Amino acid sequence: MRAGDIWQAIKNSIKALRNGEFLLRVRADKLYLHIMYLFLLMWLSIMLSLQVDKTLTKAGENKATIEQMRIHHAEKEAALVKVRSASATQLRLSRMGSEASMPTEPATILKNH
Amino acid sequence: MKRKDSEIQDTIENRDRIHVVMFFLGLLFLALAVVILARVVIIQTTYSVDNSVIGLFRPRIQKHTEVPVRGRILACDGRPMALSAPLYDIYMDCTVLKQEFVDRNDPDGERLWRKKADTLAYYLSNQFRDRTAQQYRDLIINGRERGSRNVRIQRNIDLATLNIVETFPLFKEGPYRGGIIVRPHEERIYPYDSLARRVIGYVKDSIRIGLENNFDYVLHGREGYEWRRVTDDKQWIRDLDSNRVRAIDGNDIRTTINVDFQDIADRALRTRIAEDDDIRAGIVIIMEASTGAIRAMVNLSRGNTPQTTLWERENIALREVGEQGSVMKTVSLLSLVEDGYVTNLEQTIPTNNGFVQGYRQDVHILDYQNETGRRDISVMHGFEISSNYVFTYLAENYYGSNPSEFFDHIYSYRLGEAFDFDISGLGTPVVNRPGTPSWSRTSLGTTAYGYGISVTPLHVATFYNAIANKGRMMKPYLVEDIEKDGRVITTFEPMVLNNICSRATADTVTRALRQVVVNGTATRLRGAKLNVAGKTGTAQVVLSSQERNGSTDPYHDINGRKKNQGTFVGFFPSENPKYTILVTVYSYLSGRSFYGGTIPALVVRDVVDQIYAIDGSWNNTLRPANANVPVLDSRVATSDNGQIPDVRGLGLREAIYSMESSGYRCTYEGSGHVSSQTPAAGSTLAAGETVRLVLR
Repeated sequence: MRAGDIWQAIKNSIKALRNGEFLLRVRADKLYLHIMYLFLLMWLSIMLSLQVDKTLTKAGENKATIEQMRIHHAEKEAALVKVRSASATQLRLSRMGSEASMPTEPATILKNH
Repeated sequence: MKRKDSEIQDTIENRDRIHVVMFFLGLLFLALAVVILARVVIIQTTYSVDNSVIGLFRPRIQKHTEVPVRGRILACDGRPMALSAPLYDIYMDCTVLKQEFVDRNDPDGERLWRKKADTLAYYLSNQFRDRTAQQYRDLIINGRERGSRNVRIQRNIDLATLNIVETFPLFKEGPYRGGIIVRPHEERIYPYDSLARRVIGYVKDSIRIGLENNFDYVLHGREGYEWRRVTDDKQWIRDLDSNRVRAIDGNDIRTTINVDFQDIADRALRTRIAEDDDIRAGIVIIMEASTGAIRAMVNLSRGNTPQTTLWERENIALREVGEQGSVMKTVSLLSLVEDGYVTNLEQTIPTNNGFVQGYRQDVHILDYQNETGRRDISVMHGFEISSNYVFTYLAENYYGSNPSEFFDHIYSYRLGEAFDFDISGLGTPVVNRPGTPSWSRTSLGTTAYGYGISVTPLHVATFYNAIANKGRMMKPYLVEDIEKDGRVITTFEPMVLNNICSRATADTVTRALRQVVVNGTATRLRGAKLNVAGKTGTAQVVLSSQERNGSTDPYHDINGRKKNQGTFVGFFPSENPKYTILVTVYSYLSGRSFYGGTIPALVVRDVVDQIYAIDGSWNNTLRPANANVPVLDSRVATSDNGQIPDVRGLGLREAIYSMESSGYRCTYEGSGHVSSQTPAAGSTLAAGETVRLVLR
């Protein structure tokens, strides 16, 4: 193969590209379905990738929300446990001027026979 | 021949084509090599970092560590005694947008920002009430003028408060426009404040104590990690192409601690100690007789001066190894009865004016002789009045020829060793036994009445618990099980340390201990709501050389002051023991004496009376003979027809239960009982809507 032939091939290719005939020259029309299929796959790939990003972003947000709920639950639980202790209840009652206090006798259970 | 020439011609042309292709490829690689070489030279000699390019070289993925949630420490009924949640520190970058306003020559923007800062200061002041609005304003504006990017606004706030703060003017605009910086840090929450804090313990930096330390391997969990990448929207998401190790949250541990008992014991001890400035510290141990489960362990102490607050500063119950005084006479009595030397508690010994050769005279015996005119004393009475003479006499008489027989008992009672316990740091006893350098001619007698042997309060409680449990010594323990999401993973069963005596011996000693309360040194417990059996003990504490301040007496300083410890240890109810209790108080250097029959006995009485009322073991049952007992209907009103139930008069819990069972949500304000509800009862409301309750 001579250099002149190569140069001629390059020139023809550029000319074909300019005229929009490159794919026809290489008989790509035979591969039209494959090319369309390739583009479909690429589009699907990009779209799925974006959807995955979106889903993972949402998952991250949900995770943060769950974590916030956990913290909220822990704080509430601690606060409720604190006010339910016998000492705290007695203190609250005495501050309210109540005469109620801890039981001094055990409970009496009523039973049917 | 022609055909052969043509083949030769084709081969030559083919070779020419290959040569041409190879020539161009070689040329291409040569050009590339020249370019690369030139680029290397340029980079090495002239290239400097271009900030706009650096960003392109930053890794697009980052490793993110997942921190596990530390497990909770639960009381025996599942109430949390320690749990984890983050607290937040709020800082402020006061310089946000400052330079932009200058660059844009926008004084109005700056003015508006400062106006918002004024409002923010007002809100912060209202929220935290630790500074005035002006002070907050000065903090922010001065910070802005100084160019401060890290001004501390508030520390250790919870999530609910943070959510409020993030809605404040300026802060709601976020970090880049409002300057808010939030720094979370994981913290341990103790809902009961100081209650059982020495048992729970903590792990912080190098300080590691209590259950938090010993069960750290259970509570901590395992860190995980994941790789994250940034999306086109600048959101960080998990990189699915990289591997990930999930964090495993820590497991919970359920302790044997009964929060109500702990609360009762803490309050009783605190009240009694607070009345007396000479008392340095006090402890309470409540142990379940049949299992050895510790239901309460209180360790209250003051600092160096009486003015300091009572707090759980050190685990005295576990660590304080000391001579326990007369409570150890029970050790002698148990040994004598078990060995058959004392077959009857009423058997008598001569009083000998309180003298045993080589020992100090017991003046209490002289009082006894004067009061009764008798020259003999029963073992029972000697125990009741806690006579040193009686136990010295008995020990010398029965074990004098072979002291090791007596000390073998002490070791079999596990009073000579530090057994395994759920919290590390249990003190090792010191026993002055035959063959040791400190052994002397009087060691046997002094050990028999409680000196010469140093143990921890937990050892003493464990020993008495064995008597309460009819001779079976249970290993004290603090952790019942390990749980994961409420499911039990590992259970720790009660363990028997030793069978220390026969059931008959335990019953005999129990009778003696009961008499101490009825007729002896613990009569303050006589009227307790459950029969208590136990022993008082008063011991003088050996002083350090610094405390003695030149005195040669190990128990007194140069001014004659001493340190006392008074103990009551026993169990209740004496006829069928359920709990063992030990109370000890420790004094500062003082001229006063503290006895086990005073403050400790009073604390025991407070505790016993309250446990009697709440434990449930002593509830009464009424079964009317000829009448049906009306069944108390505790169900609260609910509705499933779309009408709001009437919850007025109910407590908050019942009201919320009722509303949520009916499909509504609740908000409330106030405390007490529901006084009104909006919308009113009976009106129609779609499920999921909110009903507002007002409590008064």
